[in-house]
Amino acid sequence: MIKAIWVISFLLFFTHAGILPAEIRDETSLDARTRDVSKTLRCTVCQNESIWDSKADLAKQMREVVRERLAQGQSEEEIQAYFRSRYGDYILLEPRKSGMNWLLWAGPFVLFAVGGLILYLVVRRWVAQTPTTRMEDLPPLDDEHKKRIEEELKSFE
Amino acid sequence: MKGWHVATIVALIGIIGLFYAGLGRDPRNIPTVLVGTAAPSFSGPNVQSGEILSFDSYKGKIIVLNFWASWCQECRLEHQNLLAINGEFRNYPDFVMLGIDYQDQPGDANGFLNSFGSSYPHIRDIKGTIAIDYGVYGVPETFIIDSKGIIRFKYVGPIIGPVYSQVTEKIIRPLLEGKEL
Repeated sequence: MIKAIWVISFLLFFTHAGILPAEIRDETSLDARTRDVSKTLRCTVCQNESIWDSKADLAKQMREVVRERLAQGQSEEEIQAYFRSRYGDYILLEPRKSGMNWLLWAGPFVLFAVGGLILYLVVRRWVAQTPTTRMEDLPPLDDEHKKRIEEELKSFE
Repeated sequence: MKGWHVATIVALIGIIGLFYAGLGRDPRNIPTVLVGTAAPSFSGPNVQSGEILSFDSYKGKIIVLNFWASWCQECRLEHQNLLAINGEFRNYPDFVMLGIDYQDQPGDANGFLNSFGSSYPHIRDIKGTIAIDYGVYGVPETFIIDSKGIIRFKYVGPIIGPVYSQVTEKIIRPLLEGKEL
């Protein structure tokens, strides 16, 4: 009897184990993709948040649209294109790498490089203009300074 | 003056110009991408009767589409003007005015229309998909669609003050009379 209970339990566990994880996996996969796509879209109410992070009703409805379109088999690019066709590029939290948007992407690096070059040239000029000090041009040490140096050197011994 | 002095001054003037141009703009005023494109189709229940209304049944007409909500204060400000627009043009056979009730409770929407009056159909946007299809940020927003189904005008905010005559005389009337905008 106990053996039979164990066998039934074993079979029940593994038949369900074969079904449940698959369902959960499908659900979490859609959830994860909804989250990933939603994080790329700007909430038009709380404009510094993605529709995933925003608590606004419109963001919630947009998340639902993302989920439905993913469930229909649309790709991330297709969903972004749909939202762009309604709201423009503004809806994307990360500007697309095309056209004038390259200015946004490359601008900081170009400015950093140009600034660095200018700084290098200015510093190099300053160094070139600063006269180098030769030993013979230095004034001789007086007795007081000589004595102090000797005392400090002795303190290290 | 050396070359790099000139370049620095030009760059500074450019940056100041960019700031001046950018800071002078209203950050909430985002240009719409929908003007000049086909108006998305939709359907939904009439707020007052529950009857299903479809955008497609109004094809070939000049449509004024107003997104509103009972909780929106600016919608109250413009409501009498919307009724006046409908009153002014309703006798034109090619004129249709529609309201889209946005993120609202049916009872509240009905209460609003009973209190402030209603002379044209209002459709409930149950899941918010009509608003998203029209790229709506909030309410009120008004679209004017021509007889070919193309969005010709969009206004964000209440139709009050000088906007009223701009909408009626520069957009709706010319469209109804077949003139170019």
